[in-house]
Amino acid sequence: MTRLKNDCFGQWIDTTQPKKFTFEGKVIQGFDGDSVASALLAHQVWVQSRSFKYHRPRGPLTLCGQDANTLVQSPKTPNLLADRVPVEEGLQLSGQNYSGWLSFDVSRALDWFGRFLPVGFYYKAFFKPRGMWALWEPIVRRAAGLGTSNLSVKAAYTDKAYLFCDVAVIGGGPAGLHAALKVADGGAEVLLVEQDPSLGGSLNYHAFCSDLKKTQKQRDALISKVFEHPNIKVLQSATCNAWFGDHYLPVLQGHRLFKVRAKQTILATGSSEQHAIFRNNDLPGVVMCSAIDRLSRLYGVIPQDPLAVLAGNDLAYNTAFSRHDAGGTVVAIIDLRAQCDDQKLRAEAEARGIAVYAQCVVYEAKSEWGTHNLSCVDVHALHHDSGVGQKIASIDCGVLAMSVGYMPAYQLACQAGALLQYDDASAQFSISNLPKGMHIAGSINSVFTLLALECDARNAARAALRALDIAVEERDETVDCRERVNHPWPFVKHPKGREFVDFDEDLQIKDIVNATRMGYRDIQLVKRFSTVGMGPSQGRHSALPTARLVAKATNRSVTQTGVTTARPPLTPEPLGLLAGRRFHPLRRTALHHRHLALHGQMIPAGSWQRPAYYGQPTDRRSAIEAEVTSVRTGVGLIDVSTLGGIDLRGADAAEFMNRFYTFGFVKQPVGKTRYAVMTNEQGVVSDDGVAARLSEHHYYVTATTTGVDQVYRDMLKWNAQWRLDLDITNVTSALSAVNLAGPSSREVLRQAGCDLDLSPEHFPYLAYREATIGGIPARLMRVGFVGELGYELHVPSPLVGELWDTLMTAGHGHGIRPFGVEAQRLLRLEKGHIIVGQDTDGMTHPNEVALRWAIAQHKPFYVGGRSVEILSSRPLERQLVGFELTDVSPQPMEGHLVIREGEIVGSVTSCEFSPTLQKIIGLAYVHPEDAGAGSQIVIRTESGVCAQARVVKTPFYDPDNARQSL
Amino acid sequence: MPLGLLKYGINSDYPFDKEADLPPPSDLQARYDVVIIGGGGHGVATAYYLAKYHGITNVAVLEKGYLGGGNTARNTAVIRSNYLTPEGVKFYSASVKLFENLSNEFDFNIMYSQRGQLTLAHTDATVRSFRQRAEVNKHYGGRTELISPSDIAKLVPTLNLNPANLPVLAGLWHRDGATARHDAVAWGYARGATQRGVELHQLTEVTDVLTHGGRVTGVQTNRGVVNAGVVVQAVAGHSALLAQKAGFKLPLVAYPLQAMVTLPVKPFLTPLVSSSALHCYVQQTSRGEIVFGGGSDPYPLYNSRSSLPLKESLIASAVEMFPFLSEMRLLRQWAGVTDMTSDYSPIMGLTPLENYYIDAGWGTWGFKATPICGKTMAELVASGGKVPKLIQPFELDRFSRFKQVNEMGATAASH
Amino acid sequence: MKIMNCPLNGPRNISEFVYGGQVKAMPDPMRSSDSTWAEYVFYEKTEIGLVLEWWLHSPSSYWFIAERHNGSDEITRTFAPETIFCDRVDFKTSEVPA
Repeated sequence: MTRLKNDCFGQWIDTTQPKKFTFEGKVIQGFDGDSVASALLAHQVWVQSRSFKYHRPRGPLTLCGQDANTLVQSPKTPNLLADRVPVEEGLQLSGQNYSGWLSFDVSRALDWFGRFLPVGFYYKAFFKPRGMWALWEPIVRRAAGLGTSNLSVKAAYTDKAYLFCDVAVIGGGPAGLHAALKVADGGAEVLLVEQDPSLGGSLNYHAFCSDLKKTQKQRDALISKVFEHPNIKVLQSATCNAWFGDHYLPVLQGHRLFKVRAKQTILATGSSEQHAIFRNNDLPGVVMCSAIDRLSRLYGVIPQDPLAVLAGNDLAYNTAFSRHDAGGTVVAIIDLRAQCDDQKLRAEAEARGIAVYAQCVVYEAKSEWGTHNLSCVDVHALHHDSGVGQKIASIDCGVLAMSVGYMPAYQLACQAGALLQYDDASAQFSISNLPKGMHIAGSINSVFTLLALECDARNAARAALRALDIAVEERDETVDCRERVNHPWPFVKHPKGREFVDFDEDLQIKDIVNATRMGYRDIQLVKRFSTVGMGPSQGRHSALPTARLVAKATNRSVTQTGVTTARPPLTPEPLGLLAGRRFHPLRRTALHHRHLALHGQMIPAGSWQRPAYYGQPTDRRSAIEAEVTSVRTGVGLIDVSTLGGIDLRGADAAEFMNRFYTFGFVKQPVGKTRYAVMTNEQGVVSDDGVAARLSEHHYYVTATTTGVDQVYRDMLKWNAQWRLDLDITNVTSALSAVNLAGPSSREVLRQAGCDLDLSPEHFPYLAYREATIGGIPARLMRVGFVGELGYELHVPSPLVGELWDTLMTAGHGHGIRPFGVEAQRLLRLEKGHIIVGQDTDGMTHPNEVALRWAIAQHKPFYVGGRSVEILSSRPLERQLVGFELTDVSPQPMEGHLVIREGEIVGSVTSCEFSPTLQKIIGLAYVHPEDAGAGSQIVIRTESGVCAQARVVKTPFYDPDNARQSL
Repeated sequence: MPLGLLKYGINSDYPFDKEADLPPPSDLQARYDVVIIGGGGHGVATAYYLAKYHGITNVAVLEKGYLGGGNTARNTAVIRSNYLTPEGVKFYSASVKLFENLSNEFDFNIMYSQRGQLTLAHTDATVRSFRQRAEVNKHYGGRTELISPSDIAKLVPTLNLNPANLPVLAGLWHRDGATARHDAVAWGYARGATQRGVELHQLTEVTDVLTHGGRVTGVQTNRGVVNAGVVVQAVAGHSALLAQKAGFKLPLVAYPLQAMVTLPVKPFLTPLVSSSALHCYVQQTSRGEIVFGGGSDPYPLYNSRSSLPLKESLIASAVEMFPFLSEMRLLRQWAGVTDMTSDYSPIMGLTPLENYYIDAGWGTWGFKATPICGKTMAELVASGGKVPKLIQPFELDRFSRFKQVNEMGATAASH
Repeated sequence: MKIMNCPLNGPRNISEFVYGGQVKAMPDPMRSSDSTWAEYVFYEKTEIGLVLEWWLHSPSSYWFIAERHNGSDEITRTFAPETIFCDRVDFKTSEVPA
């Protein structure tokens, strides 16, 4: 069909750029600037979707994405709003949620069975006899859901960006434009966010006066000023989707999520036109007046069908007259009111040959049998008490445009904590209790006329400027708007129902009322029970009528009844935008590439990567065994850089250590190491490491890989309270460490060029020394670790690669092997060492894991000390012990339970086959009565098979600890 | 067509008032034998069991907002018993059993759907912990097992097995895991209770607890004083505040817990899937919406506001798990206020006041326990203060005795 | 999201910070009763209102104290710990064998 394209009509389309797309297999030609919905309407394709429950045919209602009657889908994406999808060449779209075709949906049968499906019917049926729901659920699930997701779609590119401004103005309609300019003129930085592709808002389509060109010129002037203003940044086709604390605003634009931080927010988001509620008000062809205005002014589409207008206010008449001016047929105006506010309107209608039915109502909309579109409406008289009288006329029309009221776009304000108040006299909601720094202007503030709106906008701007401590000399202007736009009761109950309150959920008047009759009286219960407002448009059109109906049904005021909570997001937002591009950083030690070169199989250890073992995955077992054997009989080298390292320096370093860890440190000799275990304030073992005293005022303590960050934070927090004289530094990354372990380690270290006397007299077990190794400065410690003669070497990270190479070369003649985390675990298990976090859990206290020896009993204080004391006074409920398996039994795995007299008494925390000892060994929590060596315990292994194990003392290997003290 | 629906079609104006689920508002009496503070799932469940199984009907449930409007309305409806401690598993298993028959118990469809719950392990440490949970579950008759990545691929073909550089090593597959319409649970219990004479008073806020000589005598409400023989408090997020009015303290910290939901799509996901490392879980409701839940907010707040950073990280995790979700659209986000304990187990039973009982510390794990809570709290009341064995481990005293029941590992992001 | 005004670094997004618990006075660890000690470990001040809390600015590892309303989430002031922890804390010493 032809489009009307001139200055005032078809403003957004470019008729020189046709674009073809397919809908339901049919090729449709639109123009650049069209939305899919407007292009479809230009081709008289009014049926664009099927409703959720009754599968009734639906078409556009608002034509601006405020309703969900135009949900369509593409091969990649379900649930797209056709009136917000720009037409693109080659776009392929289809309807959703039908069985058969969009034009013939067999599920429409549900509409005819509607009377058997009252509100909440699914709570009353489908579950008897027991188990029935399991049979019904798959059917219900298939019937539910709107679009179909494409399970193989690849994520499109998205990104995120930050923006900062003094004042964010949301909405680029007349109020927003004026507010932005006023703020910018005041010297503040403005970000203006507009959802449509261009600025202007209602100035683009609403007939504020009959001289459309005049309004357009005003608009163009405003827009030019905005774009030229150096203090204003404009984002178009951008939706501010929420208000978060301290004016943190997500703005969605195309592929980008802007995270805007503003100091003040001005909401000029307008208001949503509301629908009238009568039988079949959902027929394709029944639209808002603003939709018809948009259709002609923005897209140049003038439907040929006769237009009827349902008026609850004067604004509806503008739509009728505009259409008439554009050359369309306007057959009638059905006015709910006896009089217009503007007396001249009725006369003008008459002059134009438009019949006016005063104090009448549309009782029923009808379509011709076999078609889905509106074909005529039955008009009835309306009594003063809103009772319906006799039929007056039947009017043939293809489009019915209604204007009965507006609901402020309250969502962002209410997300921020604002409240809605209903005024019975004007029959509309207004917003109050705005949070600090938020201002509203325009129709969102119930100001509808252009002149009043400008004053309102400037007032909001002044308030924002003042809040920014920018002096504003002028006084605020009086806002005088007498426009009455809301009709108090645009409802017509019909005995056969289908007067839709909520289009998304197919809810009619009786559904809402019956919910209250069933006892669900609170507006929140009405919502949850009936699902009103829970669909895609989240109550934009159903909130107001529901509040009115529920108020009446429960004998309360509309304000008392209220609407349900406004929650983000304002419009449905693509998950891809929220997820953004994701980065998964890995921490690598300075030796990472050496591990790879040696075929190290890397595994996560916290945020780090460590080699589990070296070799091919198919040889895992033998590789680990070989590594273990190397350490026990020759020498092995392991990268322990990930183990935390903390330097404590100062006069109170020792005192601090004494308070932070359980052991005694004040009298620790310089040049010695000590086991450092800590408990949290509940007395639970939370981390451990080795503490070396480098000098009287200098400690170096290690921690577990995953625990060091927390240990460091805890240290800082305690000292923020104790104010001891020391400095605490986390040097985990600055220093890297390796452990050279095995009977040949002394020799290898000597050959590597260590300038220290390594004899046991000069460097005994548990000592700390400083030396250079091949010129590399190092901190050396002899610690228990894997139970062999060994040296832990800490060097500056940039030098650890060289150290590794030097040691590997020196060890070559001794058969040196690198060993990984698996071998380390096994070796340490052979010595019965516990792993904090594996052999201890969230409740383990020192007594349960034989760490009493590591507690200095006479210290006045250590973190968790008092709690440990209290726990110690209670009988033990479990104890961690070593066990071994005597017969050839299934190998228990970590997590398998220890069973005693049919009850769970503990579990296995570590268990491995020891190649050194040639038997299965492990650690487990057992009943305290079974904790003695020689006790028999039962472990339930895979598939319920019980293994008999024997408790043994640890260490399993080298019980006298001779080898590590060599 | 279920025959039960026929009656609605025959009468064009069905007398819903006569068959209402909930009674209209009524006056508060001066006294009740039992006053239950909190009209959420736990509160009305307790009233139901008192009325139906103990014949105690002189009961009033006082709810400051609307029925079930607290965390019962806001949770993500996960029903499971795959916990870690024997005490926890015994308790939650009993709840799962009650859920299985709940619709028929109180004649209201809660749309109970036993779809199974799968939790993913991405580290060796988690695999160990999962193995233990599977064993404990099996010990008490649950259907839980540790499964391999290839089994996971068969169960959930659409799942990405290498999300965020954290390959899935194993899964805890809990066949008993289920979901239900969470609001309906509260409505069903409330209907059953009120039909048996229990009074439900909404918009009735308890502003003070009146005590004398170590006993509670009644409560002060915004509608006047109500005397009580016994008081039960079941108010979730505000538990510690209310307890303080009663003169004792609770070791609770209130943290918001957020959740969010997409527009509905046709079914593609049957089990409930959760990732421990990504702190995210995903399920598809019978309406077709995808629900996401994650870990608690990072700091305490008595406020159910939503936030952007949590949404970003939660959805990022979800998209890692199911990449095609990137094309779906988020419809709504919300939050509840959860009363967290240090051991992630609840606080149930006696208080320093002789006739004042407590049901609190439900943190992020309360919905699944609704039936067993109602049952055991009713037993506690009906027996005059004898604590049922099943809930003894959750006594308030356990903290002063340092005898916690640690369920932290079995909770995070799998509420 | 909220803005937290770090005493050291100025206003930053709250995601840069880690909550560290309420500021609680520790009872005498040696002399208080078991129940007093348990109360210190497990309980905190319960009310909706202004609370004093420990907060850590994670990137700079700086601990400070914030006064925040735990109902409205409004942060009324932030200050360095020295403001209330002015003096060195000492625990009564007794003989400590090596």
